[in-house]
Amino acid sequence: MNNNPLRKAFLFLFVAGAVGYGLGLGTDFLVTSILNFSGSVASAFALLFGFTAFFFGLYGYRGITRGLVWQVAGTLIGAFLITGIRAALGATPIFGAFFFSEPAWVFGALAGVLSFTFGVGIMDDWVKWARGFDTPEYHEDEPGWEKYFSVSLDHKVIGIQYTVTALFLITVGGTFALIFRAELAASQLQFLTTTFRLFNQTGPQLYNSLMSLHGMLMIISILLGVSGIINYAVPFLVGAHDMAFPRMNAFAYWVAVPASVLLLMSLVLGGFDTGWTGYPPLSSRAPVGMQMFFLGVFTAGWSSILGALNVIATVLRMRAKGMTAMRLPIFVWAGIATSIIALTATQLIGLSFQLVMFQRLFGMGFFDATKGGNPVLFQHLFWFYSHPAVYVFVLPGLGIISELLPVFVRKPLFGYRWIAMSSLGIALVGFVVWAHHMFTSGMNEYLRVPFMYSTMLVAVPTGVKFFSWVATLWGGKIETPTPMLFALGAIFVFLLGGITGPPNAMVAVDLHLHDTYWVVGHFHDTIFGGFVFPFFAAIYFWFPKATGRRMNEFWGKVHFWLMTPSFLMLTFGMMFIGLRGMRRRIADYDPALGFDNAHLILTICGFAIALSVLIFFINFFYSIKNGEKAEGNVWNSRSPEWLVPSPMHPHNYPVPFEVVGEPYDYGLPGSKYVEFANGKTPKHETKRVGTHS
Amino acid sequence: MTHAEEKNSLLGQGVFIFVYLAVLTGLEFFVALTFNSVPLLVAVALVKAALVLYYYMHIYKLNAVEHEGGHDSYEYKAGTNRIGLWLFLVSDSFVFGGLMVMRLNLLGLTRPDLNQNLGFFVTAVLLISSFFMNRGEVQLHNGNRKGFLQNTMVTFVLGLAFLLGVVLIEWHTVSAIAEPILALFGEHAGKEPLKPSSGPAGAAFFMMTGMHAFHVLTGLVLLIIVWVNGRRGLYDEKQYPVEAAAVYWHFVDVVWIFFYPALYLIGTAIG
Repeated sequence: MNNNPLRKAFLFLFVAGAVGYGLGLGTDFLVTSILNFSGSVASAFALLFGFTAFFFGLYGYRGITRGLVWQVAGTLIGAFLITGIRAALGATPIFGAFFFSEPAWVFGALAGVLSFTFGVGIMDDWVKWARGFDTPEYHEDEPGWEKYFSVSLDHKVIGIQYTVTALFLITVGGTFALIFRAELAASQLQFLTTTFRLFNQTGPQLYNSLMSLHGMLMIISILLGVSGIINYAVPFLVGAHDMAFPRMNAFAYWVAVPASVLLLMSLVLGGFDTGWTGYPPLSSRAPVGMQMFFLGVFTAGWSSILGALNVIATVLRMRAKGMTAMRLPIFVWAGIATSIIALTATQLIGLSFQLVMFQRLFGMGFFDATKGGNPVLFQHLFWFYSHPAVYVFVLPGLGIISELLPVFVRKPLFGYRWIAMSSLGIALVGFVVWAHHMFTSGMNEYLRVPFMYSTMLVAVPTGVKFFSWVATLWGGKIETPTPMLFALGAIFVFLLGGITGPPNAMVAVDLHLHDTYWVVGHFHDTIFGGFVFPFFAAIYFWFPKATGRRMNEFWGKVHFWLMTPSFLMLTFGMMFIGLRGMRRRIADYDPALGFDNAHLILTICGFAIALSVLIFFINFFYSIKNGEKAEGNVWNSRSPEWLVPSPMHPHNYPVPFEVVGEPYDYGLPGSKYVEFANGKTPKHETKRVGTHS
Repeated sequence: MTHAEEKNSLLGQGVFIFVYLAVLTGLEFFVALTFNSVPLLVAVALVKAALVLYYYMHIYKLNAVEHEGGHDSYEYKAGTNRIGLWLFLVSDSFVFGGLMVMRLNLLGLTRPDLNQNLGFFVTAVLLISSFFMNRGEVQLHNGNRKGFLQNTMVTFVLGLAFLLGVVLIEWHTVSAIAEPILALFGEHAGKEPLKPSSGPAGAAFFMMTGMHAFHVLTGLVLLIIVWVNGRRGLYDEKQYPVEAAAVYWHFVDVVWIFFYPALYLIGTAIG
């Protein structure tokens, strides 16, 4: 990437941010007659202006910049419209604590999301179709990095857009974690004190907002990361030239961008202190930031739903000749299982958040016990998605592990059919386990035991996967380049996450473990093992496919060997103090508990993980231009995408292929997976090759 | 069977199915007013939904195999689009399912105190609109563009009538319009109208009808798009967009098949 546009972009960011802050202060002063320097309005303006100007400097007025400008304009127009209508109807107050009133903010934010989609240009073709005009099926992409900042219909470009956005959100969510982790390093409040004020929040309130947003930003980033890898890999793994619905694919990505902006807005508009779960009644009283959070998740949910729909349709309809169900790569099976959950259950988190939104806006008492509502109902609706959601996070990751192991062990995947079906099994059992999050909620007691048993049933298909991984590794010639290291790390970490799960499922134990740091440790183990490690493995693995260069092996290994022990220490520590009574989600703890040293170690581990991810980022961006050239079959894989040169052709395979054998028959002499129509199928070696430094 | 016979039989099938649906809807109303058996109401709703899914929405088309032209043919792409549309409907029905769970949890075997006559009337209007939608689609299939346009327009007008019936009159948005019309349907004067903030019945009623009305509105937009483009002959050959609009419209009807008994018929009325 040229340095000049980037430098310009940062300059614009600072100038526009300052101008936005000034404008915000001014408007705030006009309404409240107080110069509020911790003010949220100023920060909200600064955020919107700065973000937009950054891309303007980088890229000019097109693509993402145009989308963001339209989002800002749409938000302001929508909010002023509602403010005007409310003033005309005589509703009070016309302005709220955050300049606009709550209904105005909500409507404005929604209008902003809609205008973003029009501004960025993703609706252009659909509008033309509705008006009766035809458009070409595919559009040419610009060459170079510019294509990643505007609408592209190529699934590989969209996959990379997803992945980079996910990495950006991981950075933001991780930074939030570092801030509150630093506060937790010692008991008592050090810098997030009660006199500290930022974004109209005191220190402990800001702690709550950061802690809550860490949760949701990471979840959204995981969803985008999952979509990124699936979008990038599934079409070429099944031999398709693109996804079934390229425009909807692009829409699903682009709608996640305004969603991320809304989530960040929630921090500056007063924040919210509910944790990522947003339980009422607390969430029906939190500041207007809560509404931005709801809307952001709702919008990101649409990204997830439409992406999942596309994946299922693609696999059903776009497979290469001979790609029967039992010859699909395992990662595709995992993608299908994930998509079934994302397609259906996601609606329920959207609905539950929508109901709280309406409760706040129109006084509808769904979850308000004083109006005959039922707060526990929210938890049921919420967890009906939010538990299966963790399978959305981990199933693709487990698929990646199964996909990579045979490549680096040079022997067939053990029990292909069982692995393929275990993904579906986890997905389906996952639909009937949600209430294990609610053992302490006061729900009907007869529900506890059935949910305890259904929860423990999840261990069966998951055990099938572990059995297969161990049997695949057994007696293999194991090579350990960076992707394989991460796959092995994933197995180990996910195992820890797995065996710390059943105690939570047991009602009798969970009543004591609920809301302790033990749960936090368990959860991070499952998500790092099921998503973060495989995600990095996938990036290291497919990076050469995307760029024609490979990432630096040495720094990749440094990344792994720094991250893994720090992470294990972190979660062990969390579980250790959790069992001894450390509560989750709190800004401070009693020094008499004696957790100071443990928390200090956890904080150091957290920063070590951040350092390792920083190393990854440097390696990633450096290698795009300067990595070692790798245009061939770097990993000596049987998969069809490696049999064509990297980076891939825009429509994947210029010559179609036919599937003639099993996907994972590594090391079996004479076995073949695919055959290209022109008869020129490149051979892969069955023996170990010395390409791995 | 000759071509003309086939054309007529498709139209005739639409009429028959409509008669079944109408009789079942009448039966529901009768059951609700007399012995109010919840299992029977559920069973009738399931039968109605199955009839619409099979005969109006042609769910069996998902199983059709396109033989000609390979992956780039219009038929094959239409088949892919059909799968996409049905996946979307599956996803969407989870929203309505969630709303139904909310209603059952908050209200149980009670229901909002609504005017049952008006409810029956708007339900009939939506059902008749589905009949005309099916007729329009069949006419297009038979190569009768004029018939397609007329029937689609009738569908649109009936859909709009349903939407206004719910949003303007049932919701009591403008009392000056709502009250005289409600009086026509036998509502006592001076009855306190249901409000979103008046307890769980109001919340459930406004949320469920609101979400459904939003889908009716988007359906109307789709109808007007296919009507305008259909006038220019855009769908004489490539008919999938009309099928998609029709299937979506019938889906909105299927949702109402469940929401109608849930809001107007089962259990006892509470304020």
